Amino acid sequence: DVSGLPPSRQPGMAEAAGDAGLGPAAAQEGAELAAVIGATVPTGFEQTAAEEVQEKLGSASRISRDRGKIYFEVPARSLPQVHRLRSVDNLFVVVQEFKDYQFKENKEDALKDLEDLVKKLPWTDPLKVWELNNSLKKKKTKRKKHNLQSPASREKLSDGGEEGGADQNNTNDQEDCAQNPVAVAPTGGQDTENPQGVTSRNGVEEEEDNEQSDVKVEVQASSESGAKAGDGQTGEGQAKVLRFRVTCNRAGDKHSFTSNEAARDFGGAVQEHFQWKADMTNFDVEVLLNIHNNEVVVGIALTEESLHRRNITHFGPTTLRSTLAYGMLRLCDPQPTDIIVDPMCGTGAIPIEGAAEWPYCYHIAGDNSPQAVKRAANNICSLLRKNESKDSSTGLGVPLDIIQWDICNLPLRTGSVDIVVTDMPFGKRIGSKKKNWDLYPACLMEMGRICTPGTGRAVLLTQDKKCFAKALSRVGHIWRRAQTVWVNVGGLHAAVYLLRRTWERAEERRPFW
Amino acid sequence: KLGRPSELPPEPLPNYEGDEEFLRRLHHVLLEVEVLEGSLQCPDSGRRFPISRGVPNLLLSEDEA
Repeated sequence: DVSGLPPSRQPGMAEAAGDAGLGPAAAQEGAELAAVIGATVPTGFEQTAAEEVQEKLGSASRISRDRGKIYFEVPARSLPQVHRLRSVDNLFVVVQEFKDYQFKENKEDALKDLEDLVKKLPWTDPLKVWELNNSLKKKKTKRKKHNLQSPASREKLSDGGEEGGADQNNTNDQEDCAQNPVAVAPTGGQDTENPQGVTSRNGVEEEEDNEQSDVKVEVQASSESGAKAGDGQTGEGQAKVLRFRVTCNRAGDKHSFTSNEAARDFGGAVQEHFQWKADMTNFDVEVLLNIHNNEVVVGIALTEESLHRRNITHFGPTTLRSTLAYGMLRLCDPQPTDIIVDPMCGTGAIPIEGAAEWPYCYHIAGDNSPQAVKRAANNICSLLRKNESKDSSTGLGVPLDIIQWDICNLPLRTGSVDIVVTDMPFGKRIGSKKKNWDLYPACLMEMGRICTPGTGRAVLLTQDKKCFAKALSRVGHIWRRAQTVWVNVGGLHAAVYLLRRTWERAEERRPFW
Repeated sequence: KLGRPSELPPEPLPNYEGDEEFLRRLHHVLLEVEVLEGSLQCPDSGRRFPISRGVPNLLLSEDEA
């Protein structure tokens, strides 16, 4: 029922304790609602994400000033499609947004206001959406558990350090969560979950404070009831007490309190209001309190934060987030029959994402390192197996190939490639800054040679912006800078450059090929 | 040389774009056949490049580069 104000936005009566999350009935009701969804996306790619939402869900998005988030409205029954968005890291359902919240100057007063806010918020409908989301997750967990029996999957999982290909790209992967309940909650006040929790790009020094706080109303040791993470067991006939935690992200230099304090007090009021149990690690409901200057958003998480973080730390510091890979690919607007090459593919994050989302293009991945090639090949195999399990008989191949090659001597014909997309080596983590000085110009020349004059384009991610700018100035006759997106990769400030190939033909100076 | 007849002529015939039978065979060889072990041979120099576990190694040696 999507007319006028969505029910979730109407000032609602306070949620009576125990009403929340009562199983299948609530889930069914949830499906009828219009949900306001918030999505976290890689900083800089908000517009790209908004385009994907428009394309796949038909909804327009709002891009908030709090970077890295977009908001859109969909019927709650579209949740499965929402989870399949490729440009989105995490999802939450909005309980209420405050565009211009006035915080009291005094810390105690400000915190008291937040506490008082809890009982005034319209929790009912968002909780129904959360319930619906849970029932979706349960279906997925069942299916994945079945697949887990095959030795192939086990092999993939045990090969530590793998990006895990397309499987891991799915932020919804309940299988991993069930496997690794340990990959969760930091201790104390440390939190690295939000990579955008770094100094603002505009040079304005914002005091940022991203912490999760545990509301210690109960002693934490009492988690013997066996409730698994994210497994809101409801509908068993008896009302089960839900477990929750509050995560607060706070940014701005005029607040009189820390995110820790806000989470603590807000959480206390939530506990009081719903009579839920506070639990840092085995929670059913994750309440989000996002404060960005005077913008306050209260939400309920629909995806597991821990998975997103695990993708970055567990699989090696240089493995690219699949959402970032997707954003980069979208930027070059691939057309059916385009040839897309990643000449320094590493574990293959970009070409794998490419082959999955743009199956009418042909993707070629290459790297000089035998380890990288091996890992990428493994990831491709995982993608193939994943496709196999879907349609049993027609084992369709994947339009993707991997080759071991030298970026400075690519065995590809001049002007034969439509798109070059890659994550250029960062001096800090692989190679060195001095190496980049020589490597970058050589790369740009060779990439310019293989790329089709006029229509070709390149999308290149690099942290070594100075070196890149210098190298680019030397190849102005073959590459023009079309767009720059500032991004944050594992805490480092990087840039994604969209380049267009000029009409000038490249020289055929080919010593070997 | 695939070790089994691919029924492809050594050179594309004129007007190959309209020859559906040829295109079908070409598509098969290009996109449906995966070489797991073998080699690629440069038509000019004769130099062979190994393919191992489906991955060709096209790195040049020091003197070739």
